[in-house]
Amino acid sequence: MSETAEQIPQQHEQRPAKKPRFEKHKGTPDLSQPMSETKRAILTSFTQYRDTLDAHYDRRERVIKCSRDITALSKKIDSPDRVFADAESKQKQVLELFRKMSAELQGSNGYKYNRQATPGLQEYIEAIGLWTFLRDSTLITKQQVVESLSVADESGEVKPLLMVSDEDYILGVSDLPGEVNRYCINSIGKGDRNAVERSLAFLRELKEGINFVLCGGRIRDLDKKIPKIEKAYYSMSIRDDEMAKINPTAVAAAADA
Amino acid sequence: MDVQVFVDLQNQFDSESSLREEISAATKELHKTCRLASAKLSKAHAVPKTQSKQVTDSVKEQFATIHTNIEAIAKQVRPVTFYRYHDMWSMAVQNACAMVIFAVYLEESRLATAADIQSYLGYRVNVTNEDVTEFVITLEEYLHGIISLFSELSRLAVNSVIVNDVQRPQEISQFASELYAGFQLLNLKNDSLRRRFDSIKYDIKKIEEVQYDLRVRGLIA
Repeated sequence: MSETAEQIPQQHEQRPAKKPRFEKHKGTPDLSQPMSETKRAILTSFTQYRDTLDAHYDRRERVIKCSRDITALSKKIDSPDRVFADAESKQKQVLELFRKMSAELQGSNGYKYNRQATPGLQEYIEAIGLWTFLRDSTLITKQQVVESLSVADESGEVKPLLMVSDEDYILGVSDLPGEVNRYCINSIGKGDRNAVERSLAFLRELKEGINFVLCGGRIRDLDKKIPKIEKAYYSMSIRDDEMAKINPTAVAAAADA
Repeated sequence: MDVQVFVDLQNQFDSESSLREEISAATKELHKTCRLASAKLSKAHAVPKTQSKQVTDSVKEQFATIHTNIEAIAKQVRPVTFYRYHDMWSMAVQNACAMVIFAVYLEESRLATAADIQSYLGYRVNVTNEDVTEFVITLEEYLHGIISLFSELSRLAVNSVIVNDVQRPQEISQFASELYAGFQLLNLKNDSLRRRFDSIKYDIKKIEEVQYDLRVRGLIA
């Protein structure tokens, strides 16, 4: 099962480069031919505009590519089943991609290409958020995210590679309940009461927290997810109570195990 | 886990939404001025070319107001968050550019350059897309303004016939096709600029139809 989880994200990397349907206009138009002054002025300035727009579109493509690669790799760091053995090295590879992406996101470009960069960043936050939960049963803080994305530059100063906005953080974190939910359901299957306890405690606290923050979109989906989790836990508790009624010694034995 | 984390986040969002409200109020003012300018400029369609100077002179006042309106927006944004809120005023600035471009065409029968935009609106057009260090008008906004000129030109071609100026459509057609040649140099991706660019050909067609009508009746050589 874990093998398939590791294979899925490969798709992006193997997709061949798309062939452009039209040849790009390159170079300068032939201005030596006889033409009116207005036309010459227009063609000259539009050649400049074309180069500016091309640079912008290319940069946007590169950010999208990086963001997708980060998404694919983040899925390989951990899953609700386990933290993969090579999580540390995968984390290093992701950092390398972030380093590449951060070159495109300097200064005002950070927000300009935020829409393209944010999916990968969110997926990464989700991955290390789950990792943090599995390890410490706590919610990853924005500070921890920023720290995990910080590397030392040439002068040895540790700086974050890119800006993490509050939206990036909250949207990344809002994907956690789904993952923790899966972890919780798997634990019910395995009869791991301790894991179920700590996921539920985590989810309840997260829900309380999320209720504080009012914003639209995917955050609202949380409201639908949490009852689902609580229902599963309810079924489990009801079964346990039923079991206890029929056979109290068996339940006590299971709890000890 | 600490609820305080979320309380802090909420405070952040609150202060941001009040900033957004201020920007949107300032943008509303800009829209209002643009509509007034547009109403005044549209009189140019009803008068012969000789009187278009009076029309453009009458909007000079609005251009000054547009400058102060943009200033009010610019005061709210820091360079690093420029693109975070950019969508909020982009449309209004596109309109403002379109007004300047139309006015310059009416006065001098030429395309307003980036420098013209700066002298009318007081803000630089970022034609090389460099890092934003002060409030700028983006290249895309300027290009959107130029695309708007095509629909004005096609109306102007029809309306100049109405005011008995049969030479002007020829002049307009010449200019529109030169400008279109410029646009054809761009490698546009599938975005709003591309979609609006696709509509230019209908404006060109309309201008050509006017010329055809004039020529087939022997009204122009």
